[in-house]
Amino acid sequence: MVVAAMLLSIWVVPILWAIITSLKNEKEVLAYPPTVIFTPTLHNFHEVLFGPTNIVSYLTSSIVLATSTTVLTVLLAVPAAYSFARLKLPAKKPMSFYVLATQLVPPIGLIIPYYLILNRVGWLDSYKGLVLIYLTFSLPFAIWLLVSYFEDIPREMEEAALIDRASRLQAFWHVVLPQARGAIGVTVIFVFLNAWNEFLFAVVLGGSNVSPVTVAMYNYINTEQTQWAQLAAAALIAMLPVIALGIAAQRHIVSGLSAGSVKGVTRR
Amino acid sequence: MSKRGSVKLAGVGKSFGSTTVLQNVDLEIAPGEFFSLLGPSGSGKTTTLRIIAGLEVATQGSVYMDGNDVTLLPPGDRDVAMVFQSYALYPHMTVFDNIAFPLKMVRTPASEIGTAVRDAAARVRIDHLLTRKPGQLSGGQQQRCALARAIVRKPTLFLLDEPLSNLDAKLRIETRVELRRLQRTLDVTAIYVTHDQEEAMSMSDRLAIFMDGRIVQVGTPEDVYTRPATSRVAGFLGNPPMNVLPVRLSGGQLLVGNARFDAPRLRPLGEREVLLGIRPSEIILGTGDVEATVTLFELLGEDVIVDLDLGGELIRVRVPGRSRIEEGTSVRVGFDPQKLHVFDRTTGERIDI
Amino acid sequence: MAAPSVAVLIASTTLPLVYLVWQSLRSTNLAMPGMDHFVGAENYLRLWHDGRFWDAFGFTIIYTGSTVGLQLVLGLALALLILQIPRAQWAFRTVAILPIVLSPVVVGLFWRTLLLTPDFGIVDFASRALGLGSHNWLGDPLLARISVTAIHTWQWTPFVFLYLLAALSTLPADLYEAARIDRANAWRRFTNITLPLIRPAIVMVVILRMTVALSAFAAIYAATGGGPGTATEIINLLAYRVSFAELSLGYGAAVAVVLLVVTMVVAALLFRLRRAL
Repeated sequence: MVVAAMLLSIWVVPILWAIITSLKNEKEVLAYPPTVIFTPTLHNFHEVLFGPTNIVSYLTSSIVLATSTTVLTVLLAVPAAYSFARLKLPAKKPMSFYVLATQLVPPIGLIIPYYLILNRVGWLDSYKGLVLIYLTFSLPFAIWLLVSYFEDIPREMEEAALIDRASRLQAFWHVVLPQARGAIGVTVIFVFLNAWNEFLFAVVLGGSNVSPVTVAMYNYINTEQTQWAQLAAAALIAMLPVIALGIAAQRHIVSGLSAGSVKGVTRR
Repeated sequence: MSKRGSVKLAGVGKSFGSTTVLQNVDLEIAPGEFFSLLGPSGSGKTTTLRIIAGLEVATQGSVYMDGNDVTLLPPGDRDVAMVFQSYALYPHMTVFDNIAFPLKMVRTPASEIGTAVRDAAARVRIDHLLTRKPGQLSGGQQQRCALARAIVRKPTLFLLDEPLSNLDAKLRIETRVELRRLQRTLDVTAIYVTHDQEEAMSMSDRLAIFMDGRIVQVGTPEDVYTRPATSRVAGFLGNPPMNVLPVRLSGGQLLVGNARFDAPRLRPLGEREVLLGIRPSEIILGTGDVEATVTLFELLGEDVIVDLDLGGELIRVRVPGRSRIEEGTSVRVGFDPQKLHVFDRTTGERIDI
Repeated sequence: MAAPSVAVLIASTTLPLVYLVWQSLRSTNLAMPGMDHFVGAENYLRLWHDGRFWDAFGFTIIYTGSTVGLQLVLGLALALLILQIPRAQWAFRTVAILPIVLSPVVVGLFWRTLLLTPDFGIVDFASRALGLGSHNWLGDPLLARISVTAIHTWQWTPFVFLYLLAALSTLPADLYEAARIDRANAWRRFTNITLPLIRPAIVMVVILRMTVALSAFAAIYAATGGGPGTATEIINLLAYRVSFAELSLGYGAAVAVVLLVVTMVVAALLFRLRRAL
């Protein structure tokens, strides 16, 4: 038990330290030895949210980007995964292997072509451009996740609905979809997480228009005078949605991790 | 008896790729009949039912309902209702919504739905459970919910796929009776799939016996019981099933292993090797020409079942009464010559004598 | 319903890849747009002779191997430990979720600024307190490499922990009871029952973590940018820097292609291993 607690602290301490730092004022942060007892202040959070260089626009950018990606992904992936699961295609096995393979491609390999393609179409630094690119990695992932869930729903229920005079669409809507709620929930969580946390694509393909918090974080470091406490505060705020999501939905996340071996859960 | 609800299958067959699961199925079912499809697992009876339902399409032959060719018609257009072996209840809906579902799909007005659902639920005695979800019901209650969903539409045809197999023995017997009564009250044609021959025999007006994807016999329970068409059918019906032994006929005598029985009635069949069928309840212990050794004794309540070694062959005898017979002892065995069934040794077909 | 999505999917990944390979056969310099021309395998030859590339290659292997190995050992140890304490599991699960849901770029930044900075970073403080003195955790090449490996391991060990904990929880208790009756001690029980039964899970999680480690980008970029110099440059980063810092897209593309091939090969091997088990 003690050993476990000690090991656990390896992960708790850094996060705790970030919280502590964000509550200090700048001078306090630079103190040596590092203090744990001090008078906390919310000044940093205030600055980060309302000050001259606030991150609100970045937050908005992240929200728009992540939400659009998630919504579009789910809208497209659910019908696709359902058909995939139900259809008896001979091409099914190589197809799913291919979908898997697309997940293995290192993003760096795609960044360059994507950059050039978006440039040519004039969609660089635009939401439609970035959401499109984000879709290229969330869609296969979502489909893969959902297909195994759909396959687990017994066919007999849909057959019963068909006999009860439902059309295929009605059967899908009334019978299958409610059953898949949990799966769709897990998918939403993972897709949102990945989209919110994405950095590489955002920094290369985005710009002044589309600048999510992950990029903002990076910019904080590049300014001459790094304000550590503000950085900590900014980072915490930037990560707040995903942390909240993580804690609230932890059971779903854990089930998603092990469900038929979920591939590369979060962005590198 | 209603005029609607007749079903006819003509030359129906089903193959999956190179595997044929069903061949040459010809059936005619009259309106209002309770018709069972009986057979061991994998014999094609469920496939036949699903073809009638429209969930599978026959690769050969045609299906007719009330004279109309429905072979290619989708299930929703056939006016059939089905109870699945797993019940296939919608777990996220209440019992009420489950039963109401078929009515909702044809846009029945809400006022009518309420009455119809309550009516159906009352018929199967689950009207007090309408607000529960399937996960909160017992097995028997779930089954009745599935039934209610099927009858609420007042269908022309009622299909049941081993609906009782998930119930415990006692419940199964009670529900059997209820089902039959329900079918009669509703006056609807019912096609019932089961591998339990007792069920089929007790519930059906007529039945079809399936083996290896073909129908081997069609008839009333009495027909199939008293005159089984093949040795396999004979060995399938009854509890315990009919004893089917390889015997040699010679000069009006039966040779079972090294035991001999006089059987003048069989003399016209000449010298040959046949399969002999004799029911456990039609073997007489205590008198007769031959001695056999008792290998097992089972007390079943009002009857006993005795396993005998007769000239090297195992036969089972069912005798009323409760007197114990020691294993290892010898008893005399005889049978009523009128009660013998004879089958061809190679084809298994019945030989009439 | 599936066909169009799948078609789009395939198009969206295959086309860029084809483009990438084509690009790698050309010399493209973004600073001199008019000068693009086809150079065939020249980029690859340059690669072959480039010391920086081989350094990156070597480090990538060491980095990937050590972080996945550490994640596995630590994650498994933790999972085994926590398995014994059912009541604490909720707490551990919550804590474990946190590092995983953070953006790697944020994690890299956290470590760089708050933990590893000499003077007030707590890692530095801890090392001084333990008598190991202060060091330039991110400035010294060897230490930077260790730090970067540590950061990745820190973030992803909880994943392995959660994954293996879930797998371990599915093992039936009566197997162990039977083993106890057969007088197997704890170590024997571990090697003869636990390990073989969770082997598929272990292989799967190794596959997952390995592919992620090979393409790790954001955390290292945020922590060291690939430095000092090129010390913490894994192939991924090298490709990025060459393409966008030096604007040599052709060469960068070639590096990316090599990484792609390496990843595919590793994944293929691991999958084959998985099927063999």
